[in-house]
Amino acid sequence: MIIGAAVMLAWIARPVDLAEAAPLLFAMQFNAALCFVLAGGAVCLLLAGMPRLSAGLSALAGLLAAATLAEHILRVDLGVDQMFITPFVTTGPGPAGRMAPNTALCFLLLSSSVALSALVGRGSPFRVLLAALVFMISTTALIAYLLSVSTAQEWLPLARMSPQSALCFATLSTGLIFGGVIRLGYDLSTVAATLGAATYLLLVLMTYVELMQPADAGALPANGADGHTTLLAVLLLSGIVYAGLIVYAFRNSERSRRMARQLAESQKRLEAIIETAVDGFVTIDERGTILSANPACERIFGYRAEEIIGRNVKLLMPAPYRDEHDQYLANYRTTGVARIIGSGREAEGQRKDGSTFPVELSVSRIDLGHQVLYGGILRDISERKRHERDILDANAELEEFSYRTSHDLRSPIASSLGLVAIAGDMVRRGVPAAELEGVLTRIETSFHKLDHLIQNIIYLTRTKMMDEPESTIPVAVAVRETVERLRHLEGGIAATVHIDIAETMTVRKKASRFQIILDNLLSNAFKYRDPVEVAPEISIRAALVRGRFVLTVADNGLGIAAADEPKLFQMFKRFHPQHAEGSGLGLYILRKSVEQLGGVAAYRRLDKGSLFTVTLPLEDRP
Amino acid sequence: MKMRSILIVDDDENDLFICTYTIQRFDPDIRILKALNGLEALALLKQETPDAIILDINMPVMNGFEFLEHYTREFETHAPVVAMLTSSHHAADRERAMRYDFVRNYFEKPLTPENLQAMARLLGDEPERRASQAAP
Repeated sequence: MIIGAAVMLAWIARPVDLAEAAPLLFAMQFNAALCFVLAGGAVCLLLAGMPRLSAGLSALAGLLAAATLAEHILRVDLGVDQMFITPFVTTGPGPAGRMAPNTALCFLLLSSSVALSALVGRGSPFRVLLAALVFMISTTALIAYLLSVSTAQEWLPLARMSPQSALCFATLSTGLIFGGVIRLGYDLSTVAATLGAATYLLLVLMTYVELMQPADAGALPANGADGHTTLLAVLLLSGIVYAGLIVYAFRNSERSRRMARQLAESQKRLEAIIETAVDGFVTIDERGTILSANPACERIFGYRAEEIIGRNVKLLMPAPYRDEHDQYLANYRTTGVARIIGSGREAEGQRKDGSTFPVELSVSRIDLGHQVLYGGILRDISERKRHERDILDANAELEEFSYRTSHDLRSPIASSLGLVAIAGDMVRRGVPAAELEGVLTRIETSFHKLDHLIQNIIYLTRTKMMDEPESTIPVAVAVRETVERLRHLEGGIAATVHIDIAETMTVRKKASRFQIILDNLLSNAFKYRDPVEVAPEISIRAALVRGRFVLTVADNGLGIAAADEPKLFQMFKRFHPQHAEGSGLGLYILRKSVEQLGGVAAYRRLDKGSLFTVTLPLEDRP
Repeated sequence: MKMRSILIVDDDENDLFICTYTIQRFDPDIRILKALNGLEALALLKQETPDAIILDINMPVMNGFEFLEHYTREFETHAPVVAMLTSSHHAADRERAMRYDFVRNYFEKPLTPENLQAMARLLGDEPERRASQAAP
């Protein structure tokens, strides 16, 4: 455009002397210069995003060019040539002030290209094609000038264009081509190479035509030497271009080989990670069809990869999710609002056998350009959930324990405080000593109660904390000793105790825990005997049944009401508070001790009395 | 209104003794009814309605809260003052007990004459006699 404006100014200024000194400056006609200003403005406007104005400018330029072309073809004078200005110098053949036919053609092509992209839309391939033609023609002309400046004007019909024009055309068309190409998404270097090759082919073709018809065109200075020079120059140029191409191709192939190798390596690395990952990895397409699944997925869901690839991912979900998943995908497609994409969450999975399990799921969107995939990473968190529940249960139990202990520890102390206050009051009132002694006895029982509770708590913590080695326990001896000790403690109860245990039987257990179990079972049997029963009886048996040690203690005592049975082994439960003092912890301690040894404690109601069974494995669980 | 009868619900023999002694020293005219757990208390309440109830929370068979639940649902008239007696102070327990509109007080064990005075005040029974006794 700038060149166009400069030439236009030059024509208007009419510097005759300058024209004589350098006729080449005026090789571009005024009309051509005007057209360049118009076309340049059009291209600039187009690139700046004003298609309407740009189309108008290019239409003007196109009209001017079409008129000139018509003059050339029809050999008439429409008066276009000297419409604006009368030429004072002429260069080259043809009527004065008329632009060369190929210049006009180029303008026509260029302006159609601009108009096309302005009206049809920005990324039209035609625009690129037309601009490419212009580029080829102008470049050919430029090369022709470079090869033999003196003859260029007449060398070829197509080269009949001033060098300024050629340069301008090359610049404008390059802008048009690359502006369009970027929007169409082609590789820039490919387009450049194609343009170069096409221009080169055109050049060679024209040289060939020239050599075939050396004597034809009258205006051509067709002597042999000149033809040979041109031929040599073209050959030399071809050689240089060819060598350049070979080097380029070599480097290019080298680079693409390296890239392919790197790509293969990174793919292998990625595959290895996915194949050996502990987490399941699934990819699905936009409709939910499974495209891939790794071995961890097979392990988690119980399907082989072939069984699920190609099927809908719903297959891996249980009922509520299964029916909603299609909707999720559809919603995401239409609204773009993601529910889980990008943020991990917990969901449920369904195995091949129909069982469900909790999974932790994170989904990512994989945009491949031509297709959108979703990648899901999932982890079976059943175990974690189970641990969570266990911890919560243990915590609840601990809370209950601390609540109850705080209460039960304070209870006898509160009683003692009240009783001491009463004793003081009695002393002040001077009541008889016998009455005072009754209060002191009450204080004593309160402290015994406290002591008993603390003992039990110590038992309980011992079952939890103590790490003692196993020892061989002679069962019959241990039971006999316990019975005698408890009978003495309870004030020599006249209960009949049957012990049915082989003298030779031994178990290898942690002795103190085993003793806690015996103590609790037997003291309950003594304490909760039926006071109206004429012949209280306790039967203790031990046997090895299918590799397990089974200890049973049966009595004909008070028993447990059916409604209370579920609470039997819980902490701080008392069922016969009137019959004996107790902390409500005995059977809880029993259960905990048995569980510590890997066994189970059970209760069965008898017609009269209770039957407790403790089953222990012969080998301690590791 | 004067406090004429009080029901004590507690499983602990010593606590029953403390309550009885303290009430008798407070006012020998008050009639004392006793129950060892919530179930016994409900049975007794079907016979008569005392002026006040002193209720322990932790009891076997039926604890204080279970008793309150039954007492609300199964009875039309409720003793005007139910004081909860507990051996340890838990904010959650207190909140839970005070949700019943007939539970008016929440004491920590052991029962003291001051607790009884507070109960009497709630019943609008503040005899000068007792005030003059407390003065010297």
